[in-house]
Amino acid sequence: MMRSFWSHRTFRPFILLAITVAIFGLLGGGRVLTLSTAYGVLQHFATLGPVALALGLTIMVRNFDLSVAGVVGLAGCVAIVVGSIDPVLGIAAALAIGAAFGLVQGAVIVRLNLSSIGVTLGGLLTATGLAYVVTGNQEIAFAQLEMPSLMDDPLVGPASLRFLVAAGLFALAAVVVSWTRAGRDLLASGSDSKAALVAGVRVGAVVISVFVIAGICSSLGGALLSYSLAAASPLPLSNTLVPAAAAAIIGGVSLRGGRGHPVGIAGGVLVLSTLQSGLTALGVDPFAQDIVTGGVLLTVGVADGLDLKRRVSSLGRRFSVSRAA
Amino acid sequence: MSEQLSVETGPTNSVSRFLRDVPPADYLRAAIVLALAVFALVTPGFLSVPSMRSLLSAMSFVGCVAVGMTFITLSGNIMSFSLGASVAASTVVFVASLQFGTWVAFALTLAFGAALNGLQGWIIGYFRANPIIVSMAALSLIIGIMSTITGGRGLYITTADAAIFKENLGPVPGPLIALICCAAAGQAILSFTRVGRTILLSGSNQAALLASGTEPWKFTSWAYAIAGVFTSVSAVLIASRYGSGDLQHGAGFEYGAISAVLVGGTLIHGGSGSVIRTVLGALLIAILQAVLVLRGFSTEIQQLALGLVVLLVIILQWKGRR
Repeated sequence: MMRSFWSHRTFRPFILLAITVAIFGLLGGGRVLTLSTAYGVLQHFATLGPVALALGLTIMVRNFDLSVAGVVGLAGCVAIVVGSIDPVLGIAAALAIGAAFGLVQGAVIVRLNLSSIGVTLGGLLTATGLAYVVTGNQEIAFAQLEMPSLMDDPLVGPASLRFLVAAGLFALAAVVVSWTRAGRDLLASGSDSKAALVAGVRVGAVVISVFVIAGICSSLGGALLSYSLAAASPLPLSNTLVPAAAAAIIGGVSLRGGRGHPVGIAGGVLVLSTLQSGLTALGVDPFAQDIVTGGVLLTVGVADGLDLKRRVSSLGRRFSVSRAA
Repeated sequence: MSEQLSVETGPTNSVSRFLRDVPPADYLRAAIVLALAVFALVTPGFLSVPSMRSLLSAMSFVGCVAVGMTFITLSGNIMSFSLGASVAASTVVFVASLQFGTWVAFALTLAFGAALNGLQGWIIGYFRANPIIVSMAALSLIIGIMSTITGGRGLYITTADAAIFKENLGPVPGPLIALICCAAAGQAILSFTRVGRTILLSGSNQAALLASGTEPWKFTSWAYAIAGVFTSVSAVLIASRYGSGDLQHGAGFEYGAISAVLVGGTLIHGGSGSVIRTVLGALLIAILQAVLVLRGFSTEIQQLALGLVVLLVIILQWKGRR
């Protein structure tokens, strides 16, 4: 069972992270490796982490939840609208919306045996549409003015409350995946659903639960983010989706399901947040971030391609033949 | 044998057989279209000329991209997330190359779109990499690289070079004519060429195609390159109409395009569908949104309606697949 943790996939992002930090250290030295950069990294982790975890868990059960990007935005808007009455109520409402989205989509996917990408594409558009309706297509300001500092002020070292919540989600997920029966069932359903079914795993229930958890994770992330910004507006669709997918894939989650670990996903998120904060500290053009994210995602995508080994070995063969001739 | 045949060919029988063979989801689909048509026709102002013209122009920009997206979906690669970014980059290329002449710029832009997306198709086919991940990576790369080149500023058309792409044919809006040309060309490629049939086969039974020895990168490259050409047509229309090449153009077009593809009834896993269906899907969405606006709903409701329609259509594919 511990195999999913002790796999090279889980450690890949941390090697990448070490290389990234080393490069920034060489390029910028003390200018980059500061406490304020560390704070920036953790804040970015708090924003991206929950969505990446949500998406990563659904990929681990061999699905792909596009709707997380929409649920983040919708939950943020709902939290601000309801939270102006009472902040706790706002978070509760956001979580309820997220869980409901996960439940409905998961049930439709499992019971009707439909493709998760199709259903969650519909979910993504619906959630975004709801966010437009809830906000009236305007940016809504938050009346609770003390909220941003409660969310973002450093509590422990450079870690804010928002970061601690995100880290808590990852720790909980890691414990469940590594040490509980539910985690074993999750990986079994993802790697071979028929074998898992024969072995007595209730695959359908596992997949639906993962979608509910994904909805809860992304809505919690969205709600806390909009509390920290003290504002919410409907988000452009792809802005969160691409980095979330990149973090999960860099973190070693296999698109073929059954492989991956929350600790790896956390590593993937850290790589991206370090890149973002490091490039900002170096004063590099903000667009460089897009290029680096895209480049890393493309590299990992090709590295996970089904035919990569065949292509590389045939290239090697061709090379050795031409040398022999 | 001959007896059986003569029994089967009676007119009532062929009608009943037709009714039996049509999947139930298609009845529901037809009923929805009919209901929407009636609803649209009784909505005051729907049939007025300005309302129709703005409806059809707006639909045509996304429609051209949707024609391209159809090839990607049919080839079994679900959707590309980078077609909106491809529109944005192509508008910049078009405006930047207008100095060489209108038609040279047009050809260059189409070639750029074909190369940009064809490359993604090649990577997906050659390494059998995941199409979702590759197109998401491409989205980031295209926006990042193009922003660095342009410095985030738009380019503006200063001469009258691109005027021809703004023309209307009497009361018919120019973009609609472009969409009709794209749809005709796309359907012709799909129905009458070897490439088109291979793309359809790759979506319906990729295992068979691979077993027959066809290299996967050949058809994925074609599918994406064709998608890129149609995407660039949309970019040329947009750049000419708004007089600028800007990376803000085309944002989110990939979602509008895949919605049109799915609402038209093309299966999300490919293999079954057509370009004509996609254009009908785009038309259906446009009519729905126009009716909502004319009936006094806020524009935000349009977004929600689009999401719900896509969700409904996906759920209908459940019956369509059996």
